[in-house]
Amino acid sequence: MAAQNKGEAQEMPAATSAAADPGAENKERLIAAVKKEVKQLMEEAVTRKFVHEESGGVTALCGAVEACLGQGLRRRALGLFKTSSTTALLHKIAKHCPEAALVSARVLAAEGAPATRSASGVERRPSVPRPPLCKRGSGSLLSGSPPTSRYLWIRIALFERQLSKIIEHLVNNANRYYERDALVADPDYGSILSSLLVGPCALEYSKAKPPACFWTDPPADELVQRHRMSAGTTTPPSVRRPILNFKRSLNASSDDGSSNNPGTSKAAGSSAKDYVESLHQNSTATLLYGKNNVRVQPKDIEEPMPGYLSLHQTAAGLVIKWTPNQLMNGYAESEGIDKSALRCHLVHASACQHEYVLCSLAPTCTVYRRRCAGPLCIDCVYWAMSLQVCVWEVVYVHVHRSQASDALILVGQDGVQRPPIHFPKGGHLLSFLSNLETGLLPHGQLDPPLWSQRGTGKVFGRGKVRRRPLPSLCESGETEEPEWEETAGDYVFRIVNNAIADREAMRHSLLERAVQSPPRTPRRPLASTSTTSSDSSTMSVDCPPPSAGINGIPPPPLTPIPHQPVEQAASIELVCSTMRRQIISRAFYGWLAYCRHLSTVRTHLSGLVHPNIIPRENADGGLTDERWLAMTDEKGAIHDKDEVYRLVYYGGVQHDIRRHVWPYLLGYYEFGSTAEERAEQDTACRRQYETTMSEWLCVEAIVRQRDREATAASIARLSEASGKLKPTDNNDTSEVFEDDCSVISDNPPIVSPEPSETEQKRPGPDKPLLSRAPSIDEVDNIELDSERDKETKQNGETDNGDSRELDVDSLKDLEDEDVHLKSVVENPDMRRESIAEIKRLAEEIVPKGDVRGLLCSVDSAQLNGSEFRSSIDESQPSPHQQHTSVIITNPSVDLAAGGSPVSGGTTAQVSPARSPLGVVREESQSAGASFDTLEPADRNATDNRSNCVSPASSNGGVYSNELVESFALNLHRIEKDVQRCDRNYPFFTDENLDKLRNIMCTYVWEHLDTGYMQGMCDLAAPLLVMMREEASAHALFNSLMRRATDNFPSGQAMDAHFADMRSLIQILDCELYELMHAHGDYTHFYFCYRWFLLDFKRELLYQDVFAAWELIWAARHVASEHMVLFIALALLETYRDVILANTMDFTDIIKFFNEMAERHDASAVLSLARDLVLQVQTLIENK
Amino acid sequence: MAKTYDYLFKLLLIGDSGVGKTSILFRFSEDAFNISFISTIGIDFKIRTIDLDGKKVKLQIWDTAGQERFRTITTAYYRGSMGIMLVYDVTNEKSFENIKNWIRNIEENASADVEKMILGNKCDLEAKRQVSKERGEQLAIEYQIKFIETSAKDSLNVESAFYTLARDIKAKMEKKQEASNPAGARSGAHQIRANEQQRKPTSWLSRCSLL
Repeated sequence: MAAQNKGEAQEMPAATSAAADPGAENKERLIAAVKKEVKQLMEEAVTRKFVHEESGGVTALCGAVEACLGQGLRRRALGLFKTSSTTALLHKIAKHCPEAALVSARVLAAEGAPATRSASGVERRPSVPRPPLCKRGSGSLLSGSPPTSRYLWIRIALFERQLSKIIEHLVNNANRYYERDALVADPDYGSILSSLLVGPCALEYSKAKPPACFWTDPPADELVQRHRMSAGTTTPPSVRRPILNFKRSLNASSDDGSSNNPGTSKAAGSSAKDYVESLHQNSTATLLYGKNNVRVQPKDIEEPMPGYLSLHQTAAGLVIKWTPNQLMNGYAESEGIDKSALRCHLVHASACQHEYVLCSLAPTCTVYRRRCAGPLCIDCVYWAMSLQVCVWEVVYVHVHRSQASDALILVGQDGVQRPPIHFPKGGHLLSFLSNLETGLLPHGQLDPPLWSQRGTGKVFGRGKVRRRPLPSLCESGETEEPEWEETAGDYVFRIVNNAIADREAMRHSLLERAVQSPPRTPRRPLASTSTTSSDSSTMSVDCPPPSAGINGIPPPPLTPIPHQPVEQAASIELVCSTMRRQIISRAFYGWLAYCRHLSTVRTHLSGLVHPNIIPRENADGGLTDERWLAMTDEKGAIHDKDEVYRLVYYGGVQHDIRRHVWPYLLGYYEFGSTAEERAEQDTACRRQYETTMSEWLCVEAIVRQRDREATAASIARLSEASGKLKPTDNNDTSEVFEDDCSVISDNPPIVSPEPSETEQKRPGPDKPLLSRAPSIDEVDNIELDSERDKETKQNGETDNGDSRELDVDSLKDLEDEDVHLKSVVENPDMRRESIAEIKRLAEEIVPKGDVRGLLCSVDSAQLNGSEFRSSIDESQPSPHQQHTSVIITNPSVDLAAGGSPVSGGTTAQVSPARSPLGVVREESQSAGASFDTLEPADRNATDNRSNCVSPASSNGGVYSNELVESFALNLHRIEKDVQRCDRNYPFFTDENLDKLRNIMCTYVWEHLDTGYMQGMCDLAAPLLVMMREEASAHALFNSLMRRATDNFPSGQAMDAHFADMRSLIQILDCELYELMHAHGDYTHFYFCYRWFLLDFKRELLYQDVFAAWELIWAARHVASEHMVLFIALALLETYRDVILANTMDFTDIIKFFNEMAERHDASAVLSLARDLVLQVQTLIENK
Repeated sequence: MAKTYDYLFKLLLIGDSGVGKTSILFRFSEDAFNISFISTIGIDFKIRTIDLDGKKVKLQIWDTAGQERFRTITTAYYRGSMGIMLVYDVTNEKSFENIKNWIRNIEENASADVEKMILGNKCDLEAKRQVSKERGEQLAIEYQIKFIETSAKDSLNVESAFYTLARDIKAKMEKKQEASNPAGARSGAHQIRANEQQRKPTSWLSRCSLL
């Protein structure tokens, strides 16, 4: 407890950033800064094996030390010119302290040498050993100097290992150089300071420049390592903090960690320890409010001192206590050092009418102090300053609000003012007053009341309690704290006391009331408590309303309260009933608050987990080969799906059988399906896949052609601009390509490596033909064609071939076929070639698959044009429709190209001249993707092939221009991403990347409206790794995407995830939540974005990704639909201590997790995730 | 973490997907190049502290996803950034044409006085070049933005690009500071602020950009 107290006292000031605050708070802050920097530096020394002299840690430590030394430095002591300079101080003490003399000499030397260089503006290398000095005192000169020269003498002293000795000297002779209230002069802080620096003084400092690492923030793994070092034994939050403690610090705004820790030690006798403990929640008094660093100016002291203000509900009524920080901390420290030495006698606050609690000063007061300087024990002085006011003694509460601070003055019945209590800015006064008002009930009230009405604020959203204060207090209707802060002004409240009347009444009807209910407490019905606690959700958990407040029964005579006329005659019965009431009411309010909390949890979180907990027993091994075999019946069917899910959820799947289990987990295979059925399903699926693929491959050919032209176009333009080529030729060609380019500019072109060669080879006359945009008739034709084609495809896919309206279509068919025939007749060569191309494509698309149908139709078509035509006609109603649709498309490409006979002819002519072979070759290599592997091993067909591609010229084919363009866009994106997908993983050779590309393209072809989105590749990759085979990987990817699509920017799931994350953190780890809340940016949780989008695929290694995904899939049926949330939470919780210790803000945390990617201990994270699910489940189930 | 720097600049890298934003950033922060970079999902950033005219300037450089679908996330970062690098790929005409769209995007989302710079990346691939340097320069003149061709692979101009941008931001900031905080008081005030900034860098930053 002592340590907690101390830690709190040191951290709070940093948080409240009361920089200008003099006195103890300031000292604490300074010393805390030094402590922190020393810790950082020592950690750096350990993790990096050395500390560089220019390291940020050194500079920061020197700055902190400088701040300590500069505080309270006596100006006179240094002479006229060297005002407040610690460097001057050093020179001054050099006479008396040999260490200082040494350092002083060095400083002078360093100062002298490079000063001129600095003036001449030469940029100093950081490795220059002794940077020039700028005197500390001359602030205006300093601004221009680089940071390396800051704190020069401290730096040198540190490197010379003299710093701690010098400071020790300063501390020992503090009265000579420092003001009385200076940090160095303080008997505690001074020695702490010097002893803190012993460690850093023992380090080795290196001047050698390390590889730039000292300028950067420590990387993530170093942070983790540091954390392990300093806090190796921390327990996870779930263990350390009971869930119900969340947000307990709402009213005790200092987050007083020890207040829920009532009287750990029951040492007899009154002591300082008891006193401090009496400030916390305990059996006799309820802590309603606590705030540290509230300043009060006691008598005889010039300036206000910070201290701990608390509001207690005791049996006697409300008591306001204020204790100077020195007392609280002095207690804490001495307690830590030597318990037995503490024998300060304290007369405990017994009389409410005395505003000061004076400790009786025993002559033998031997409080443990290393240097007890004053004639009077310091503690005793502080005891005299502490304040204790019984609220019933107070008649008026004056509130003075100004820009500087909020002051509260209590005016007693006798008209005497208590010393003003200064609250820090930030709504603390307001919360104090509202707690006071609550505490006054039912016997008293504030007049006028603080709040005109009490709304029920949301339990979530701390600090946004929506209540309406009276206009007298705050003009604006709905007050948020900042608004209240803005308004300055004075207010007076009267404390109305009805207690005496109540007490009279009570005395008469004592016995009846002990039995009857409800008690006479009209002003405090239960509802009022419930509103209070819904405003501040946990106040009533830890601070149940006081018994005396409930029914006005006088307190048990445990503590003597002289002010109240305690009846000696009060029967033992009275006492008993009081106690009973106390117990019952506390229990009730505790229960009430718990229920309320749970209902909140349920409403917010019940959707996240399944209500019924499925037991874990003997699922540890997971789904092994044996178990899987045992579950399979003779027909190869798996029936017990719940068991499968359960095993997978708790133990994962053995790697060898993942390939068989995953289709079930993703819902591709039905449970209970026989092996035969599954094989059928696979075949159908593969056929479907091949069909789709052949469709988009045709479009791809068009896209490629366009790309090539576009590339040539931009190269032409480039060369035109640079004027490298012959001007005449260039003009022609560039014109040509400008036209083309305008049509196809949406496709990022691919560069041909030999631009000039191709252009020069190009004959002049082809210009009009190539550049000719499709005529209107043709476009119509094309569109009709493509529509019809799509329809055919659809029909083919859905096996509804007969539903076509024949009359219209057959008419169109006739027209089309006429043209088609013409082109076929006129370009027999071309026809043959294009068919060969289709065949070739088909062969590659479906190397192992069922290609008979496809090949048949191609073969038959190859014979001659008319037969080909007949094959089309026949195929339309036939069951092989899906295959023939391929053939329909490609010939129609030809048809479009050769729609006008002239054009068709020339295209065929031109193609060889452009040497498309070379272009294609080069291109496929440069694209680095799949094209090479798509090509057959024997290259003898390539000549034909390249001739064939060219007929599918740039004007769109049967596919509408939009379709081609949108597919082209997607295709380029896919290729860009596939090429760079997981190249470090050995699986992804060119061949397999090609498969990945095919899966992507097929999926995108099927979902052209959504298109490709970055991240899809990552999701498909592990599936392909696992299944090895395109068609089934594609099928699984399809099922995976059904859920995952929503995570992509087009869906809504991501925002929902973020919101759920926030709720979960709030419930399960309030401390982390507080930190996140302090940084508003956290609300977006973007550091989780990649986690959710890719199901942690980039956070974990492949093996772990498999396990995580299985867990996510199985959890849908076992524990939670949103397992990702819990894994995310587990990741966060794993590093929560690192995050908290470094008070990471949003950017730090993004950087941290991006650096930690693939370094997590996945099995620990996943099992923590399961624990978290269980935790939420029990929370919800627990009724 | 010891925050020992004089300035903190937030920079942002934007541009079409695959133009080499991550590579540029990696080159600048780690001085290395990796052919197999995976596409950026969501957002990432890297830090490098540079010495600029005697001041330590910490550059916090945000790397964004290129696909326009993810703009909802990336635009959230436009506001806080003090400098933006627009990157295109000299071997990709389309990415160059899209620079105009990105600039429009900046105008809509970033603060009005954000420093901008255009980078034409992959200038080592001369054989595949589609966008001439002249066109890049022309565009830059049109928009009054500085322009430089870089190569993350060959470590060409990457350093100087970031230094130039940082220097511009610093100059702009100091000019403003001077204007709002004239004459002698400036240096003293700066000291105090620098101290304060050690504890609360973010608030300091916002104040600076407000000035």
